[in-house]
Amino acid sequence: MPEWLTPQKNTWLHRANPALKAALLFAVMAALFVTRNLVFISVLLCVYGGLLFLSSGHSWRKLLLLSLPFVFAFLSSSLTLALFGRGEHVLWQWGIVKISEESIRSGLAIGTKSLAIGMISLVFLLTTDPVLLFYALMQQFRFPAKYAYGFLAAVRLVPVVIEEWQTRTHALKVRSIAFSKGVKGAYERLKLYSVPLFAQSIRRAQRMAVAMEAKQFRMDQPRTYYHETPCSGIDAGFAAFVLGSLLVALASSYG
Amino acid sequence: MTVAVGVEQLRLKFPGEPDILFQGLTLQIPKGQKALIVGPSGSGKSTLLQVLSGLIPQAVEVPLKYGRIQRPASWGFVFQDPDTQFCMSRVDEELAFVLENRQVPRRDMEPRMREALALVGLSPDLLNAPIRTLSQGMKQRLALASVLLLEPETVFLDEPSALLDPEGTEQIWTSVKQALKDRTVILVEHKIDAIVDWIDRIIMLDEQGRLVADGEPDAVFRQHKASFERYGIWYPGVWDDYAASARRRPVSGSPGPSRNGPEPSRAGRKPSVLPPAFLTHSPQAAPGRAPDSRDGTSLGETAAGAAPPSRTGPDGRPLLELEQFEAFRGNACKLRIDRAAVAEGAWVAVTGENGAGKSTLLLALAQLVPTAGTYVLRGRTIPEIPNKRRVPEGIALVFQNPEMQFVADSLFDELAVSLASPDKSREELADDVRRLLGMFHLPDDPGRHPYHLSWGQKRRLSVATALASRASVLLLDEPTFGQDARNTFAILECLEALRADGKTVIMVTHDRRAVDHFATEEWVLQQGRLKEVRQIRRT
Repeated sequence: MPEWLTPQKNTWLHRANPALKAALLFAVMAALFVTRNLVFISVLLCVYGGLLFLSSGHSWRKLLLLSLPFVFAFLSSSLTLALFGRGEHVLWQWGIVKISEESIRSGLAIGTKSLAIGMISLVFLLTTDPVLLFYALMQQFRFPAKYAYGFLAAVRLVPVVIEEWQTRTHALKVRSIAFSKGVKGAYERLKLYSVPLFAQSIRRAQRMAVAMEAKQFRMDQPRTYYHETPCSGIDAGFAAFVLGSLLVALASSYG
Repeated sequence: MTVAVGVEQLRLKFPGEPDILFQGLTLQIPKGQKALIVGPSGSGKSTLLQVLSGLIPQAVEVPLKYGRIQRPASWGFVFQDPDTQFCMSRVDEELAFVLENRQVPRRDMEPRMREALALVGLSPDLLNAPIRTLSQGMKQRLALASVLLLEPETVFLDEPSALLDPEGTEQIWTSVKQALKDRTVILVEHKIDAIVDWIDRIIMLDEQGRLVADGEPDAVFRQHKASFERYGIWYPGVWDDYAASARRRPVSGSPGPSRNGPEPSRAGRKPSVLPPAFLTHSPQAAPGRAPDSRDGTSLGETAAGAAPPSRTGPDGRPLLELEQFEAFRGNACKLRIDRAAVAEGAWVAVTGENGAGKSTLLLALAQLVPTAGTYVLRGRTIPEIPNKRRVPEGIALVFQNPEMQFVADSLFDELAVSLASPDKSREELADDVRRLLGMFHLPDDPGRHPYHLSWGQKRRLSVATALASRASVLLLDEPTFGQDARNTFAILECLEALRADGKTVIMVTHDRRAVDHFATEEWVLQQGRLKEVRQIRRT
């Protein structure tokens, strides 16, 4: 795992099966996507925010820092809707700004939704090892091995591409290539960076694929697994937790 | 004699290539034999390995025909590039990948992985290590270990030491000799002196993949010595032969160096091939300068036998001076030089272990990384302005991977980008481009795409672009890395010719012999400090 993803300590969330965890959290996110009920969303925000800060095994400081982008999303989307959204019970109006009861409500709903989804994503990202995730997908969900190992190989190659990007930047400086400003410059950059980086990446990918085949990687045949990702009591517990959170949120929204 | 691997009447054609490769090659390798395949670049050596193992046509689709083929029952393949053989990030995961493919039960995996590591001489403590923390030599040994987990009877090795420094090369050959004692080994290499004593048989192919020689190493050497040289193979003694050779190619069409032995030193230099715009000094050497002992004579035959005199600039100062110079990568100081100076026309070889700071030095001299301290170039101090650092004028850095420096779609544009100046007409530009192409033995085809050149040509093109930018100090990061003997000598001779015309060369290299035969001084770096400056007498 990359350094900043590595937790201070492993919690029960880390020991849960990554694929099942992903499926369960995705179900919660799906529920959040379709709802507009502020109470429902807020309850889930508190539950998963709490889960993040209490059980993810990272320091509060790091978590607060990582939450910042989502807080910005909350502020920007809720303010935008509150100030410019549609509504009938107008509270204050000036020019195109029209604050109404409905607009405040929908602004808050969208904002907390973004924040809640953010919290859930962080819970997932910060407690899951990508390698274990792909192993679990293969074992629990019969994810095809060729895609799983393809992703794993890609994960391995990302730092290489980043380094190459930097080398290219240096090389262009040495050749005294200056870029124009603005969009034109962006287009020039795209052209000058993509050709060598793509060429290298394609070459690397091809070599890696041949090497994997030389190691008797057969994509459609059964295989054993080095990282065994079982389902355990923890997963049953987490499933219960998720179900419980949804029920509580539902109940509160009707109550 | 049981045959482990064999093919009869092999013919193969790459789509897009005009010629048929191999043209009916027949070859048989008995069990337990250690066979070495040599030949020039493009002779299809790697392709042959892939055919014999079955990777062609299974993993790589290339049309091929043969009368009969016998592939080994179990085989493994070690590739050239340490970085693209692995798909996983950790040592144990990579080794486990093979075992997973073979459906080995989980509980048997760890003992087998430890055993494989032990066989290649790697410590079992490395099991949890990320692969990127291993040295290149260790990575190749890891590749060998994962091949051993396949329990192969035959092992194919495709230039395993080509991209390794001398230390890594030694490591991999030690592991190969130790671990593959009892197996059939089919090996392609062109750096053969470390492994040739272990080999039973040498098979030599020509440019079309036809069999030119086949037999015991001593016999093949004796009968085909000239071919070894022509094909650019690093055979034992190649540097000695090069140094003694009187019939070396003249570089870039210059009025050839004397082919009959040393010429009496001339006072003044031979006329240069470089267009006047590229010369650091005018061709008429200033009187007072000592005769250039390299002009017109071959290496190893200098009349005077002395190192070229140190040349100083017009005001007597060295070209480049460093004092209390520090270079930073990120926030860490990776290099500290108390005091160093480079004279004009010097060839500085920067050596040291991996991580010693060699590449950092080049980046610092080109001002691509933050520096501190005093850096004086041609009498002018290079200011340290964070965020606005520019590559100092007159300096060009040639990277290890030439493709990283190409910016255009044709050879013409590639050179024109650096050659163009407002006061130059199109005809003059075209002339200069053609001149440069000729100088560096590049194809006279200005419309060709730079990526359509061979690796050696790309390397020379990247040096050409550095020259085109009117640089007088050339910084090169391992210019001969991974190349066969011919290309290595070609690029070193190019640099030598440039130096004869007044350029200064600072080169990072691992190649001991290149240092001894071409450099005028050696800077030995160790852990970010300049440990030693060694003057080299060139004889």
